[in-house]
Parts: sequence; structure tokens; C-alpha cells
Amino acid sequence: MKRRTFVQLLAATPLASTTRAEESEGIPKYKVVTPYKRAALPGMPGPYPGKVVSVKSAKCLSEDGLKIDGEVVREMMERGMRALTGDAKTIDSWRRFFTPEDVVGIKVNAGGRPWVVSSHEVVAETIRNLMAVGVKAQQIYIYERFQGQLDQVNYAPRAPEGVNIFAAERANTRNDNQNYDPRVYVEADFFGEDDTRSNMIRLVSEKLTKIINIPNMKDHGATGATGCLKNIAYGSFSNVARTHYKGVSHTLSFVGTLAVVEPLRSKTVLQIMDGLRGVWHGGPFAPTLKYVFFPRTIMFGTDPVAIDRLLLDIIDDERKRRGAISIWNRDEKTLDFNNGGDRDKDPNVNIIIREPGHVEYAGNLGLGVHDKREIEVKEIEV
Amino acid sequence: MSPGPLIGSGNKKGKKGVGSGEWGVGVRNLLSPPHSPLSIPYSLLTFLLFLLPLTPQRILRLEAAEAKRNAAEGEQKLPLIYWTEGIETAESLKRAGIEQIAAPADKAEVWRKAGFKVVAVSRAEFERREKLLTPRITGRADVASATRRPWVDANGWRFVRNPAGKFYYDLPQGKAAMAIAEAFTYKADAILKIDQADLTEAGAMFAFIKNLTGENYPPIADIGVIDDKSPETGEVINLLTRRNLLFKIVEAPEPQFRVNIKLGSKEYPKAEADNPSEFAQKIRQRLGDDNRSLRVYGTETVICRLTGDGARARLHLLNYSGREADGLRLRLRGNYGRVDARAFGLSRVEPEDLVNDETATEFSVSGIGIYTVIDLSR
Repeated sequence: MKRRTFVQLLAATPLASTTRAEESEGIPKYKVVTPYKRAALPGMPGPYPGKVVSVKSAKCLSEDGLKIDGEVVREMMERGMRALTGDAKTIDSWRRFFTPEDVVGIKVNAGGRPWVVSSHEVVAETIRNLMAVGVKAQQIYIYERFQGQLDQVNYAPRAPEGVNIFAAERANTRNDNQNYDPRVYVEADFFGEDDTRSNMIRLVSEKLTKIINIPNMKDHGATGATGCLKNIAYGSFSNVARTHYKGVSHTLSFVGTLAVVEPLRSKTVLQIMDGLRGVWHGGPFAPTLKYVFFPRTIMFGTDPVAIDRLLLDIIDDERKRRGAISIWNRDEKTLDFNNGGDRDKDPNVNIIIREPGHVEYAGNLGLGVHDKREIEVKEIEV
Repeated sequence: MSPGPLIGSGNKKGKKGVGSGEWGVGVRNLLSPPHSPLSIPYSLLTFLLFLLPLTPQRILRLEAAEAKRNAAEGEQKLPLIYWTEGIETAESLKRAGIEQIAAPADKAEVWRKAGFKVVAVSRAEFERREKLLTPRITGRADVASATRRPWVDANGWRFVRNPAGKFYYDLPQGKAAMAIAEAFTYKADAILKIDQADLTEAGAMFAFIKNLTGENYPPIADIGVIDDKSPETGEVINLLTRRNLLFKIVEAPEPQFRVNIKLGSKEYPKAEADNPSEFAQKIRQRLGDDNRSLRVYGTETVICRLTGDGARARLHLLNYSGREADGLRLRLRGNYGRVDARAFGLSRVEPEDLVNDETATEFSVSGIGIYTVIDLSR
């Protein structure tokens, strides 16, 4: 069976009950368990499949890229949202997605601290608009998997009083599981690991009614690039780092397989890619400015696949510009899987064969449009 | 699932003063007033012996006498602290609630006089015992990836492999309670040299295990292992234990097991065991995760022992991580309606999200420390 046929079959299989995909071409056998059913119009790809609004502004960052101008970000977000929905007023754009009754999660990305994270300015502007719609602060949750990362980014000073900041685990130590839902999981044995389940965060499955995904523009050693799909998928489930080991990565299929699990798929209604800064190598981390670049862009959409398809080119183009190997390079000679240090020193060293094909895979699962010819990009300069 | 016994149950019925040999059953004589099997009182014997110079012959006689006494006091089965400190430390033991110890033979009587139940262990006997590892995680426990699983120093496989064995721990500070729990879980004859600073926690662990009502179910197993006593098979047994793949040592393949392993056979060549991790994975795949009597999710550092009689089961959870484990998910084959969990340091723990389907029972436990015991019944 060809991979495309396989994923089409998988996409056609209802996931509201236990399903089992057949192992094929190195794709692990997945067992998806969830009692939740898909919404009539699931959030991904949502009402705007294949549509991406890309708003760029040279003024959003200081010249050295270190400071963010909140006023410019506000304008970028207002114009981006209006362009996405076609509304004349920004508030109307937000009302298309949210009502005052919603309990809204904001899936931030704090892994690229300190330089490439969901910025305070974008998160604050998102909260301001939610509250303008009538969503109370107490109904808003900024969430991420690890408390340690959230503490370092520290969203609290810019968040209105009452906004919840939630982490599923204290740290990346695999000891805290009580915040994960035992009824919603994907089971797979990748490398003989003892714990074969990845469970959805309870906040996502039980409490939130809508989710806004705010990823960054980042290179990723296992997936090639990490944007909307990986941020929402790996950021909403437990025990996911197990997919890459000794140069091999199962991210190709696992990212999409997680993202499509209900109720995550249905609840994730808006994608705001914070590309003010990005990281072109060594991602998803950005502890120093060494590999940080400055796209000065925010992308808007409801289709995570379409946005991520554009992201693959953004990261790859930046790497090419810097003389680094492509994210599509599968030459094992580039591989030094035991040496993260060398990878950090040299952008021509991979620690894992990257899997940028995860975006296409997710598209074939029905999460969005992958073919660039079918993606409509509206570019705005602020 | 096999209800057959995994190891020798320690049933010594008919043996004088031993009872069934199971926990809480065979300790009657340990708790009864000291008495002498000899024709003269022990105190007088001791006094007379101390009048003699300490010749090797005298030491041998002393050992022989103590061995007789130990035998009379019942086979030592509960883990015991091997206490070499002087009698001036008696108060600290009592404060910790420890009334029963193992002590060097030449100090045993003094401790008995102080009101302790004592199993005398001569230096020679101590040295004949097999030394155990300190139960703990070594290496990089803080690395998240499950595929870079932390290395667990655990001794359960040694106990299962050699149920009649005699063992000792020589423990650094902070590990006494864990070792007591480990030895108790496997019903091992183990004595423990501990750091004085651990007395209180050790006493608390003894109190915890004494409060566990008697259980005499046979261990549950999914795999048969023919043990040729080779180091290679030992390592395979170690990894099966480590991965919660429940096995039974058998003389010959047993049909109730989906997988029977004999190292050196055509199916399981010795060369394959050169990589015991991959070998254990092969066994796991042959068995199939769906056919396992026990699955543990949410940790890589908890090792379990499961016993049961079909209607009831007891699950021991030994957490080697040194950290509290939250939201551990357990799946047991069989439909159990009642789940009763007790965690050391927490007393009762409420199992959460209990799910029964046609084949299995699943539930979560949170906030568990180093040792938890879960009793299940249909």
C-alpha cells in the first residue's frame, strides 16, 4: 500500500471510537482512543481552508530585532484578522470565532525561550480581542506543557488579571500525568518504549471550548520545521518526545495523527503564527541569537497545513541563504545523532533525519491544504 | 494469564515453628518470648562463653549456637535491618518503632536483653549472602525521552530467580525504606545495612508493610523462562522484570504461556541475548501488548509485581525514581470491580478514572511515593 493511499484510508476512518491503522512503509501502528465526536465544521481546517494572510512589517521589531513594538503588532493583527474574514471591523472578525460563553485556550510556544516564543505582544493582543468579544478573563487559559518553560517566558505581567496560565507538567520529567486525560490517547510503540500512550491534556479535552494556536517560525531537528501542526499536536499531548531516537523520527505520521484527534481538531479554530522572530537552525530551541532570524511577519488562518506549508519554505530558504543543508536533505552523512553539541555548532549537522513531509501527511488526514498551487496567500505590508 | 506460582512460595508447612512461611504468618516465633532450644538458658550459655578467650574454635561454637537459635526463632523472611551499632542506640531504634533486627552474633544477646527480637547473623553468614544493588535510578533520570529510558538498579529479578537465596543490602542514606519495600514485595530473605539517619523512615515502612493484610496469591505471569542459570539468562530476566513483562521460571515450556523462552534454543539463540534490551523487546512483541496481564503507563521507573488467584489480585508498585509519580495509569487483564490502593506515606489513595471493559480494568493513581500496594477484587 502506498503511503498516500494509506493516509487517505486513515482520514476516512472515524476517530470517535477506537481505530487501528495498518502498519505500512514504516508508519507505526496507531490506536486512537477518544469518546469525542468531530464537530460539524471542525476547527481545522475550519472555514478558510487553503487561505493564509501574511502580514509583514519592518517596524514591528527594533532594528536589532530585540524589541517588539506592541502598537505595530496590534495593527498587524487587526489587519490580518480582517483580511482573513473579510470583515470591515476587527471585532466582527473575532466574533466569527468566539462568543462570550466560550472558554478559550491560547496554545503558546515557550520552548524557544528566550528569543523565539509566542511573544507577549501577540498573546496580549489576542486576549484583548477575546475580552472585547465578551470572553471573561477567567475564561481564558494560556497553556503549554511545561511549567518551567512558562515560568521563564512569564506571561503574567502582560496578561489581564484573572487570565489563567496553565502548564500540564512541572517539567519535562515524565512524572506528572494527572493533567492528562486517560480517556483520550494515541497508542503506538515507536522504539520499544514501555509507555506507549500519549494522552491529551485534560484542559483541552474537558474544559476548553475553543483554542487559538500561536506557534512560531522555527526549524526543528526532527520535523524539519515546527509551526502550527506540531505546536498544537505535540503541545497538547503527553509523552511525545519518544518519537525521535537515534537519528530516526516518526514525526512524519505522528504530528498529524495527534492533531486530528478529537476534540483537539474541532476546538482549534484559529491559527496565528508569530513570525516576528524565527530560528533557522538548532530549533525548536533558541537559547542564543546565533540562529535567530527576523521574518517580521504574522500569519493568520484556520488551516494549519497551509500555513505550515509556507513555513517549510521560509525555513528552508533562510537555511539556503545561510549556506546550510536543506530541511529536505536525507543524506545520512549529515547525521550525527549522538551529538547535539556539534549540531548546535554546525548548521550542516543533523541529529535526526528531518521529516518535513509531516505537513503533507497532515494534509492527507484532512487537516488542510498542502498543495501550494491551491493555497491562497494574501500578503499585507504594514 | 497464569495463576501458577512464579517462585517457591516459601510454604514450609510441617517445618517446626515456621507456619506457612508467608508474610505475617511465619513470624509467630519471632514475636514470641525468647526461649532456648538448648538445655541451659541462653543467658548462662552466653555468660560462660564470654569467660573463654575468643579463639576461632570458640567463634565457631558461638556461630553454631546462634544458628540453632535462629532456626528455633523461625526462618527469617521479613526484611530486617542489620544493626551493628552498640546498645546505646537502642532508644533511637525504639523511637523509630523498630523492635526486630538482625545483629552480629556477638551482639545479639545484648540486644535481646534490651527487649528486641534479634536474628543473629555472624560475619561469615553475612558475607555468604548475595549483595544487592541500592534500589534507585542511575544515569540521566531527568532526560525526558522514553526511548532513553533511565537505568534502574532493581533487585526483583534476583529474588525471583533465587527464591531461597539470602541477600543483603549495604545502603547509602535515603534508601532504606525503598529497599525494605523491594525485599518485602518479593518476599526475599534480605537484611539491610542502613544509615542511622534513615531509622525513622525505615520504621515507618515496617509499620506500613505490617498493616498490609496477609496475601498469599501466586504470582501472575505471561511468559515462561527456562533458567539455565547463565549470566545471559539472568540479564534477560532482569530486563523482563524491568519492563513489567511478567514471567515465571519453569522447568520446561508450559502451554499456558504464549511465550516460553529457552536461551540457546532455535527460537532464542544465545547470540540474540548479546543485546538484552532488543531481546526483551522481541519477547514483548511475541507476547503482544494486548496479551499482557499488566500495563503501566505514565512512568518508566515503576516496577510492579502482580499476584492473584483469579478473583483477587495484589499489585505492588515500586517507584525507583525518587520522585512522586502522578497520574500513573494501570491496566490489568480481568474485570475487577473494587480497587483499593494504599501508598506509603499517604495511607489510602483513591483510584481515579476507573474503567472496566470486557477484558481489562484500568485506573489511575496519583501522588504515589516509593511504594504502593493495590488490592483488587471482582
